[in-house]
Amino acid sequence: MKRTRTLLLSLSLSTAVLPLFAQTDVKVFIDPGKALQVARIAVPRPDTTLPLEKINTPFFAPLTRDLAYSGVFAIAPIPPNIPAGADLAKAASAQFVLALKIEPDGKELIVDARLLDSTGATQFGKRFRGASGALPRIAHMLANDLVRAVNGKPGIFLSMIGFASNRSGNFEIWLMDWDGANQRQITHHNALSILPSWSADNERMVYTSFARGTSDMYIISRRGGARVRVPTGLNLNTSATFSPISNDIAFVGSVAGNPDIYVVKDDGTNIRRLTHESSIESTPEWSPNGRQISFTSGRSGSPQIYTMDADGASVQRISFEGEWNDDATWSPDGTQIAYTSRVDGKFQIRIADLATHLSRVLAGEGSNEQPAWSPDGKWVAFQSNRSGRWQIYRMRIDGTDLLQLTFDGENKDPDWSKKAE
Amino acid sequence: MSKVLKSFVITLALLALVVIVPACRPKPPVVAPSATTTSPSVPPNIPPTVTTATAQPVTAPPDFVSPTTDTVAVETLPNDIEELNRVAQSRGYIQDAFFEYNESTLSADAQAALTTSANWMKKNPQYNLLIEGHCDERGTEQYNLALGDRRANQGKEYLVTLGIDAGRIRTVSYGEERPFDPGHDEPAWAKNRRDHLVLVGK
Repeated sequence: MKRTRTLLLSLSLSTAVLPLFAQTDVKVFIDPGKALQVARIAVPRPDTTLPLEKINTPFFAPLTRDLAYSGVFAIAPIPPNIPAGADLAKAASAQFVLALKIEPDGKELIVDARLLDSTGATQFGKRFRGASGALPRIAHMLANDLVRAVNGKPGIFLSMIGFASNRSGNFEIWLMDWDGANQRQITHHNALSILPSWSADNERMVYTSFARGTSDMYIISRRGGARVRVPTGLNLNTSATFSPISNDIAFVGSVAGNPDIYVVKDDGTNIRRLTHESSIESTPEWSPNGRQISFTSGRSGSPQIYTMDADGASVQRISFEGEWNDDATWSPDGTQIAYTSRVDGKFQIRIADLATHLSRVLAGEGSNEQPAWSPDGKWVAFQSNRSGRWQIYRMRIDGTDLLQLTFDGENKDPDWSKKAE
Repeated sequence: MSKVLKSFVITLALLALVVIVPACRPKPPVVAPSATTTSPSVPPNIPPTVTTATAQPVTAPPDFVSPTTDTVAVETLPNDIEELNRVAQSRGYIQDAFFEYNESTLSADAQAALTTSANWMKKNPQYNLLIEGHCDERGTEQYNLALGDRRANQGKEYLVTLGIDAGRIRTVSYGEERPFDPGHDEPAWAKNRRDHLVLVGK
């Protein structure tokens, strides 16, 4: 019955994916107190009549990568020739076995996934239908579901990273999946276009482009692709960033060579100036609850990080170490700020606790700038020139599991989508 | 000094053309090579102003005896705006202003460069000016965009105090996005901290 209903909803879009069947009650069967415990999971190759090379790269590889990086599962090595079930769980010393079946259905594929416990009982099951081009997306959706089934919180495997790349000529705005796959260009200004920033609903990005010979603020929608210039009447229009709770955009505007923090509605109306210093003010970023804005100011003589209320009141200095700090961005829970900090003459990613003002440096080779938090607060994306060219990397906030995500041309200005899914 | 020499050479070349063109009329292709070979000291990045001069009537030979006047060079400014900028920069009519690290104040050298540029702008009211503020790579991208804006505006304000109409000057900041020298040392950085002056049509 359920199957009939969902089949009717089946979309013709090549990348559309619909869950065909899901257990209505997803059981959270690890008690919340043990949620951080890593569970061993055995993931045998999918049972399929299709050639494995059509499954491995688009589906099996991203799925197992997601699970391995989830912080929830550890992939258990699998002894050969044991079917998915209790015997495999025992042989692999695994708490879970993921049984996968992929079969063609007309021009589409049906992916059947079952999470079995160590007794072989199904704890969670879901079916997906989609064209072969949708397999990576199905892999990420399934990984999200599995993480949610085990610890109650969704994974971030459908999140995306916006960035600027010059691989097609000028810097333009690009998107990639969280694992660096599926990199695609989304603006075509044929002009310097930089500093993308996501809206809270993951639907829009605001960025700066020099398409008119001046630097202007533009908004592009993920669905529909229309791009709109936001007129402010000011110079610069850089470092634009959406409020998490309204249609406001904070940005750097300049009048007569005095860059300050401004807020404007996304239609270009209701401009408000938040800072009134004669120094350079730059790089605003909203706190997750929308009540505060961090920014960079040169008022002390060098660029340092400050916070203020969203109306410009209660300015507080946050950074005290190093003579150049910039690019502050708040952790999703609002308790920490990551920023670019010059340490021993090189830029490094620094993470500071807002309550204690204690900070730690995630040191790496080369210059490391522009941190961007993952929506679950466990990762930062950043740009580094350690390879000789600017590329985007990802690491855990303790500096481990470093991964280079871009390789073509130069790539910078990462911003991670705000919603986990 | 080299400017004087250049205009002298160009004057020579022009004179040569005036003399040679009528004589060689049946075989015009010979003209350009012979004219250019007479001015080997003209830098290669200067477009062949000599040949464009032939398109305009040269009524009287410039004063050969006192080549210190710039009249010939001014008359032969290229129409193409990109060529014009190359010529204006290479001849020093328009000069970029350079900055110290993380500074937007104008040094004495920067002021001198802008003063020279202002004098030329006054004599050539048919052009407007775009000032691009640039920074070296040692700062951060976002702060440098703001710093470049301040540098460009400092240049603009100084030109205005020298009598240039503010309406003729537009500014833009490129921060560290468009370095002139891709190097990673102080000589490169010093070149990249600048107000780059660009002539634009009205």
